Amino acid sequence: MTSKAVFSTIRRSLTKPRGGAVSRGHHLSTSAATASESYASDEHAILMKGVRISGRPLYLDMQSTTPLDPRVFDAMNASSIYDYGNPHSRTHLYGWEAENAVEVARIQVAKLIGASSKEIVFLSGATEANNTVVKGVMHFYKDKKRHVITTQTEHKCVLDSCRHLQQEGFEVTYLPVKTDGLVDLEMLRESIRPDTGLVSVMAVNNEIGVVQPMEEIGRICKEHKIPFHTDAAQAIGKIPVDVEKWNVSFMSMSGHKIYGPKGVGAMYVRRRPRVRLEPLMNGGGQERGLRSGTLATQQVVGFGVACELAMKEMEYDEKWIKRLQERLLNGVREKLDGVVVNGSLESRYAGNLNLSFAYVEGESLLMGLKEVAVSSGSACTSASLEPSYVLRALGVDEDMAHTSIRFGIGRFTTEEEIDKAVELTVKQVEKLREMSPLYEMVKDGIDIKNIQWSQH
Amino acid sequence: MVAKCQVISLCRSLLRAGRKYPDYNIREYTKRRTLDGFRMNGNLTDPSKVIEAYAQGKQQLEVVERVLKVYLAYAYPPKTNHIMELKV
Repeated sequence: MTSKAVFSTIRRSLTKPRGGAVSRGHHLSTSAATASESYASDEHAILMKGVRISGRPLYLDMQSTTPLDPRVFDAMNASSIYDYGNPHSRTHLYGWEAENAVEVARIQVAKLIGASSKEIVFLSGATEANNTVVKGVMHFYKDKKRHVITTQTEHKCVLDSCRHLQQEGFEVTYLPVKTDGLVDLEMLRESIRPDTGLVSVMAVNNEIGVVQPMEEIGRICKEHKIPFHTDAAQAIGKIPVDVEKWNVSFMSMSGHKIYGPKGVGAMYVRRRPRVRLEPLMNGGGQERGLRSGTLATQQVVGFGVACELAMKEMEYDEKWIKRLQERLLNGVREKLDGVVVNGSLESRYAGNLNLSFAYVEGESLLMGLKEVAVSSGSACTSASLEPSYVLRALGVDEDMAHTSIRFGIGRFTTEEEIDKAVELTVKQVEKLREMSPLYEMVKDGIDIKNIQWSQH
Repeated sequence: MVAKCQVISLCRSLLRAGRKYPDYNIREYTKRRTLDGFRMNGNLTDPSKVIEAYAQGKQQLEVVERVLKVYLAYAYPPKTNHIMELKV
């Protein structure tokens, strides 16, 4: 009897599930076919795209997207099941319930930015919002206003829309930024012309994380009575955003950057003083005529809940993220020299840390950091090895731009993950520097820039 | 008025439910947020605020348990552990 009890306890302790997780027997049958090809026979290693990693990597790429918060997921589930009516159907209960859900979400989004719920338009994301505003405003005022001012560090969708406008005959000024990433206000003032129709400056840059001086830019635009558009996809829920203080006429917001669902975003269009916009999506006149089409109720509800959560947790998250950022930066700086932070350290959102490591080759650094999911300066902009245009606008040298790594810290990141990321990065950089003859020369005191390379 | 043992039992239930999540980040976040949430509200004296905070906690417990069931029902991808969970 006792031996049976002893053996059963031994068996239980040997097969205890790891990490406190309960044993999971069911997985989707659709995933079984692909899973068997992708995963190696070694129980824990993952073999995908020719790379072998020992486990799921640490997620430190919060600027590209964020995981779905369980509370948002809960609200979206309930809404998907029950709010299936078309929110624009006025005649029956299903439409009314769906419309109520959308209106609640609208109020939640509006409260986060200090606007009225009538000024919020839901669409498919910040890219669509940016396109609608840049093209829509200029097309509406095309007889009188022919000039757009934007910066060189904007998101690709804004720059591409401006290029499209240039092909149509408008003129665009791309303002250069200072070496810390901030816009030069004097240059902005000088580039304003009587026929300027729009100023577009993003609030928090997605690559380097600098926070632009929004209040000052808003004041300049108010003086000259020019509509001010800001791409606040990375800013809402992270820094305090107020459309009245910033004097913003248009704002683009994205759901999946604040722990909400992908495929939804919102646009703030000011009602007083009224700014007019030509819609990109024509149709039945939904969303004040600015964006026709049936709203995806559960996505919108998820976005609303994400905004409300972000408002409640902003202070708590900010403290935590600031703490982790300092831990990361100090951890890396203690062990390595030649670490440069791209962008201003003071005027910055704490969750975005873009570091450049001197004397290290960028691609090999990334290949060695497969166990940390980060993004780099060159990879996200093009398939070629061209360094990121944002870093080029900052005036960063080509070799430093190639070795830039963007660490994104978020609500769900833990201290242990940061320590592990520091350890892995330091190890990889040291390994690469060990092999680098350039680094040896620098250690010997030779100045690399003044070398006369002999021609063979 | 909410008794101290009720508050402690709520905290314990939240922590216990949070421990079962298969996802490393959500598991750690639930633990940290619960403890910090209870610590921040630990000095409330106004009874109406205490009741409000307790009701919010109870609601969060419902959400955590409901979402846990869905997270456990789908185990995709199978058998891969997070780097932080690997025994060195």
